[in-house]
Amino acid sequence: MSRTEEPPQPATMKPKTRKARLPPDWRGQFAIAVILLVGASIMLLPFFWMIATSLSRKANVSMPRVPTLWPPDPSFFNYWIAAANLPIVRLYFNSLFVVGTTTIGYLLFSSIAGYAFAKGRFPGKTFLFVVFLATLFIPFETRMIPLYLFVRDLHLNNTYWALILPFLAGGFGTFLMRQTISTIPDELIDAARLDGASEFRIFWSIVLPLCKPTLATLAIINVIWRWNDVLWPLLVTSSRDLYTVTQGLALAGKSSGVHVGVALATAVMAILPVIVAYLILQRYVIRSVASSGIKG
Amino acid sequence: MEPGSTSFPADLGSLRYRLARAFRGTLVWYSFLALPLFLIMVFVAYPTAIAFRDSVFTETPQGPEFAGLYHFGRLFSSGIFWGALGNTVLLGVAFLGITIPLATILATMLNRLRRGSTPLKVIYFLPQLTSSVAVAIMFNYVFQPDWGLLNGTLRSLGLEQVPLWLSDPRLSLGGSRAAVTLLAVWAGLGYFIIIILAGLQSIASDLYDAAAIDGASPVQAWWHVTLPGLRPTFVFLLITGSIDALSRFGDLWTLGGPGGAPARSLQSVVMFMFQAGFESNDYSLAAATAVVFFVIVLVITLVAFRGFLHGELKALR
Repeated sequence: MSRTEEPPQPATMKPKTRKARLPPDWRGQFAIAVILLVGASIMLLPFFWMIATSLSRKANVSMPRVPTLWPPDPSFFNYWIAAANLPIVRLYFNSLFVVGTTTIGYLLFSSIAGYAFAKGRFPGKTFLFVVFLATLFIPFETRMIPLYLFVRDLHLNNTYWALILPFLAGGFGTFLMRQTISTIPDELIDAARLDGASEFRIFWSIVLPLCKPTLATLAIINVIWRWNDVLWPLLVTSSRDLYTVTQGLALAGKSSGVHVGVALATAVMAILPVIVAYLILQRYVIRSVASSGIKG
Repeated sequence: MEPGSTSFPADLGSLRYRLARAFRGTLVWYSFLALPLFLIMVFVAYPTAIAFRDSVFTETPQGPEFAGLYHFGRLFSSGIFWGALGNTVLLGVAFLGITIPLATILATMLNRLRRGSTPLKVIYFLPQLTSSVAVAIMFNYVFQPDWGLLNGTLRSLGLEQVPLWLSDPRLSLGGSRAAVTLLAVWAGLGYFIIIILAGLQSIASDLYDAAAIDGASPVQAWWHVTLPGLRPTFVFLLITGSIDALSRFGDLWTLGGPGGAPARSLQSVVMFMFQAGFESNDYSLAAATAVVFFVIVLVITLVAFRGFLHGELKALR
């Protein structure tokens, strides 16, 4: 906030002089900052309370009537118990594997179909695009039970396939990629065709590199969406070896409801890596959400 | 082919050439679309069609029997279904009614703040990244009546008559529905702030200059310039927010099981469908619920996206 105190800038530094010329609004800025900080503390408070409680062994027996943000007996005891109850490494592997393969597949199929719809000329294009668009209007919950029965009849339940195959292609990604690829000038693609490049080569070496920002957006949204999904994994997997992190957490939360410290230690183990990844990538995550309007 | 023709290899060459041309021109695009289209047909279109079919058939030992609208009749005469739908709508309206105004105020403040808005944005968005299951586990304890974070804080502020939150199924400001609404606001606020911040960027700055010349105070400018300028953003948030609220499942399921305990006060439509399908094995009733759910979401989406759809289809031609 020291900007308003700076001496008047020379006229060449236009952006700064504009701000410096504004009347110093100290009190307004201070009031806004205080309100926003109070709000931010309320957002963070449950997280801090959860971490403090998860570090207290006594929390499993009795909780203090007045909540504390510092454990009276800090130890990692609850984490050892939680890790012994739940194959957390396996859960992480499952989640990373499932989220990774679905995201790569989703990006690939969305962009190749998007390329066909954006730059291709072939009979039935409008009809096929309407088919893709129509899937945008089918909520997952509507087809959930028949999809589960179908997967079960194919004997795919309790396999990774059940967690991956239904999420490889979708209308939203295709639509977003078509929109992005449409903005690539035709001249660029025609020039590559004249040079004898195949359509796939053009797609792979020219179109995809130009779509990096949209691909990043789509990847982030898909990762958030797949990582946090619990409904579908609950339906198709009943073997602990295939649980995702979110699913393992949901089932552990149901069984260890009495041991507050252990339950919260489990929750911390499940969300901490996601939060760390978010803090590293926050700029891209927030930009993706703001630009697509989708939160995953 | 003419007898005795020597042009066989040449013909083959031209056939191959023609095929190659056709492939370059048209077939290559079908080959690009083949796999994504197959996946969509198998995993999206087919199960949807089955949901519609199952909703008008009854499974009998002799095979499926056409039942007409019988299952819809059962659905609409089920008090549990109406309770679940009522809960879903009530929770959605309460959530949007609190979150949109609150997020608008906070986003405007973040937008005016000269320094430090980025870390604040990151903090407000943090709960959105946390899965609804983890949030529910955390808030199950936050709302614990005796020692939970919320009641403990209220008590230390001198309030002795503290609400029971999740243990109280009644429709009151300290009951289970109020608790899950607070949870949803806490978890969803960041997304609304980010979208409104993006909307604020699209309001032309000369509108504010004009308001300042007219002598409008910052609050007046906010009321007469910012809020009308955010109209498209609000419409967007209302639509996506309603659809999200209708599909609410993870957090309520973690807190109250598929029955939405206590006393079904937290059962949503999707949980009703889940229970009908997987606990009662009543696939026809679940399918009828799925169809009703589909129709509600479709109506909301079509109203919202009719302009978008029109533009998309025009752009293809």
